[in-house]
Amino acid sequence: MTAVQAPVSAARSAPEQTRARYPDAKGYVERDGVRLFWERYGDGDTTVLLLPTWSIVHSRHWKAQIPYLARHFRVLTFDGRGNGRSDRPAGAGAYDDEQYVADAVAVLDATSTREAVLIGLSRGGRWAVELAAARPERVLGAMLIDPAISFMAPLPQRQAFSFDEELDTTEGWAKFNRHYWRREYRDFLEFFASEAFSESHSTKQIEDFVGWGLETGPETLTLTQLGAQPASRSEMEATLGRVRCPVLVVHGEDDQVRLHAVGAAAAELTGGQLVTIEGGGHCPQARHPVQINLLIREFVESLGGMAR
Amino acid sequence: MTALLTTGREQTRARYPDEEGFAERDGVRLFWERYGDGEPTVLLPPTWEIVHARFWKAQIPYLARHTRVVTFDPRGNGRSDRPDGFEAYARREFAADALAVLDATGVDRAVVVSWCDMGESLLLAAEHPERVAGLVFIGPPMSDREPDQGHYPFDSDPGTDEGWAKETRGYWLRDWPGYLEFFFAMCFTEPHSTKQVEDCVGWAKDTDMETILAGFRGWETKIIPPAEVAALGRRVRCPVLVIHGTEDAQSEAWRGEELARLLGGRLVLLEGAGHAPHARDPVKVNGLVADFAGVAGNGTAPATRTWTRALRRPKRALYLSSPIGLGHARRDLAIARELRARVPGLEIDWLAQDPVTRVLEAEGERIHPASAWLANESTHIERESAEHDLHAFQAIRRMDEILVANFMVFHDVVREQPYDLWVGDEAWELDYFLHENPEEKRAAYVWLTDFVGWLPMPDGGEREAFLTADYNAEMIEHIARFPRLRDRAVFVGNPGDIVPDRFGPGLPAIRDWVEDHYDFAGYVTGFDPAGLGDREELRRDLGYRPDERVCVVTVGGSGVGGHLLRKVIAAYPEARRRVPGLRMVVVAGPRIDPASLPSADGLEVHPYVHGLYRHLAACDLAVVQGGLTTCMELTAARRPFLYFPLAHHFEQNFHVAHRLGRYNAGRRMEFATATPEVVADAIATEIGREVDYRPVETDGASRAAALIAELL
Repeated sequence: MTAVQAPVSAARSAPEQTRARYPDAKGYVERDGVRLFWERYGDGDTTVLLLPTWSIVHSRHWKAQIPYLARHFRVLTFDGRGNGRSDRPAGAGAYDDEQYVADAVAVLDATSTREAVLIGLSRGGRWAVELAAARPERVLGAMLIDPAISFMAPLPQRQAFSFDEELDTTEGWAKFNRHYWRREYRDFLEFFASEAFSESHSTKQIEDFVGWGLETGPETLTLTQLGAQPASRSEMEATLGRVRCPVLVVHGEDDQVRLHAVGAAAAELTGGQLVTIEGGGHCPQARHPVQINLLIREFVESLGGMAR
Repeated sequence: MTALLTTGREQTRARYPDEEGFAERDGVRLFWERYGDGEPTVLLPPTWEIVHARFWKAQIPYLARHTRVVTFDPRGNGRSDRPDGFEAYARREFAADALAVLDATGVDRAVVVSWCDMGESLLLAAEHPERVAGLVFIGPPMSDREPDQGHYPFDSDPGTDEGWAKETRGYWLRDWPGYLEFFFAMCFTEPHSTKQVEDCVGWAKDTDMETILAGFRGWETKIIPPAEVAALGRRVRCPVLVIHGTEDAQSEAWRGEELARLLGGRLVLLEGAGHAPHARDPVKVNGLVADFAGVAGNGTAPATRTWTRALRRPKRALYLSSPIGLGHARRDLAIARELRARVPGLEIDWLAQDPVTRVLEAEGERIHPASAWLANESTHIERESAEHDLHAFQAIRRMDEILVANFMVFHDVVREQPYDLWVGDEAWELDYFLHENPEEKRAAYVWLTDFVGWLPMPDGGEREAFLTADYNAEMIEHIARFPRLRDRAVFVGNPGDIVPDRFGPGLPAIRDWVEDHYDFAGYVTGFDPAGLGDREELRRDLGYRPDERVCVVTVGGSGVGGHLLRKVIAAYPEARRRVPGLRMVVVAGPRIDPASLPSADGLEVHPYVHGLYRHLAACDLAVVQGGLTTCMELTAARRPFLYFPLAHHFEQNFHVAHRLGRYNAGRRMEFATATPEVVADAIATEIGREVDYRPVETDGASRAAALIAELL
């Protein structure tokens, strides 16, 4: 497999803003020739792995969680292949779910982490489920935030546009189209971010999102989309049914990208708890960081049983 | 102060066990109780036999709402046996008893929460690690360094009776009650701990000195020795939490610090707290225990929850209306209506209990489902009352367990659901425990009351004067220290309604202090007399003929008034002879069974009557208790009435009577001296009389709502 090295100077509009906390350790793990960039913050007894999501953004999307969680737990992040400081391998096959799940295991191994609590947003929620089902001995618990799990509920009607074919409209979700991305990548990012942040007064979150999106490009993003071919409904349900660890699902009631019904179904099929964010969109970790931080902490502590 | 007010009668519990029984071990029977269900089990073992399982009363109702709780009485006290001999009271016996109780209750494994553990819980955890999931020590006296020896050898003669010299065999034999008072005063070094001391002394008196003496030869023989503490401590593997008050005068805080270190456990120091913080600071200790045991967090969270974005939330208020009597409910409904008119979209939830819920339900109000968890106050008040006699101050004091249990319900509700505003109308649990735990405030808070100041009844003597002053002083200190905790304090009335008394010796005059610390809403009647329309029409509506003389007899909602109803009913034949065509309408209220009252020709007995104020406005005379609401409704409606304050009820005897005097309203009667003839005579004299009462304002609810709405 040929991997493209991550660009040294990403096409971001401005230098990264000052972080509230910088990693205590960082490094690369290489798997099948693909280099993945990870960071570790804090050194508590329990490890929390903040999974990547769709590579339209990278690990900075957890910026509101890391400083808080790292004061209580050992926190790992990594940039998903296709964005940030991780490589951009060629070919859609390099971006299927199995690759991301294997990457997560590789990061656990590289950081000598025997087991971790998984936190995943959107596609990251799906990978958390797949990892928990496949490697239960490595997973203490899984928190799924606005998970993108196909077949659990229909996509919103207005998303029903072809990704592959040229369309005769560029309105709304018609922008979710590889040809449009090539032409108007930034406009697509802005559109998608505004759908992801359906809450009013979300300008900063949208800007962040677009900035991280610009650190990769339309070609790579197209591969991530083509690679993310869902399994069948029965396979997905079977995977959810295999999850044995405690599960907490958090889902925005107004999520315009993945309907709340997805999270509700995931909670039901895993026997997990469901927290609904009333008025919340697709990325509550960025828009409602305090509440998400508290939920994460509460969830992680609940797994340890008695607090020590 | 030497006289104690222990009545010897257990006060109403906030929760009664779901199961109880005896475990028998070597012929010794141990009485256990189980409350609630769920995992993990929390075992609350006894300390030594000086008290029994009731000293966990502030923990049981809260923990049992979340999980299974098991308690047992120690050998030597409560309902457990009193075996003979010093050896029978060794710590190893207590540890074995705990094991026997776990077996008897079918509990494999428990979180053990101990107070003043002298080694039994340590033994249990070290020798039976599979049975102990976690250990909490509150104020432990054990040490791996030096024994806790006491101040004088137990069998010595210190040559004085002062202080710890009381902890000697000689003094015990001379003045056992004196020792108990001293001993428990040393447990509660915090000011304003009279109730906790009384409770403990009372529990100590549930056994006898001979039993205690059989098992006691000085602390150095009671508590396991340092070498054993060290050896056992090394074997403890479970999580450990030690809670210790820095002002613990029984067991210095370093003992807890070192025990935590020895066991690798967490330590929480409670600064300023004494030896028994679970009794004196129950809200804090309940939270620590629940967090440690993991019983009130995520583990028991409902499967689905919702968190609403701040700007998406409707404005929401939680209203707590005192359930003692029905008066608060009526005025609170009126205030709530005015509040909604001023704050469009305001949603109000009521955390309330019977009988208030009946009024609220009739009005279609939204009652918070957690209301079902509230321990009932009216039942307690009824149990505390005798024949037309209710010692209101002691009744509220003896409600401390119910108050903390109900505060914990509130605490859970407001953690689950954010509110913009809390309103507490004489919600004592809310106001007291918020001031004791000010970090729990998470919304604007309004306190409403129609009287300020606990006042002693003359026959309570020096002791009651001391206690009421102590309660007032604590309240005054609370407000002085946390002046912003109550965002509004609303007095339901006017400055002239405030009694001319002081809070106590050396304390402010009540009226001065209230004027400095309260806003005045004027009286809140809960209805507009003008809205009743023409009285003749009203009488027609209610089925009262113009020519008949209608006397309405009512005792409010609390169920205490059965004796008054019977007395007035007994006066009915004579009254009817004196007042031709007299029609007597007796309203039993929601908590007195009408069938339990005698019947007579021309006498009607009704259960609860919705809209009773309309009957009061239509009648020619009312006979009532001395409760404020009903008396003021009659004052506002300008009807003549006889009122009988409950004996020993300081509020009815002083506060209400003072206010009615200012309105020149009603004729005060004494229950004890009122024979049926006296009652009949008063009825005949007063019925239909023209009155010259001071008018009652009709805008009280609106003024109160205006004060509250500013916070929304």
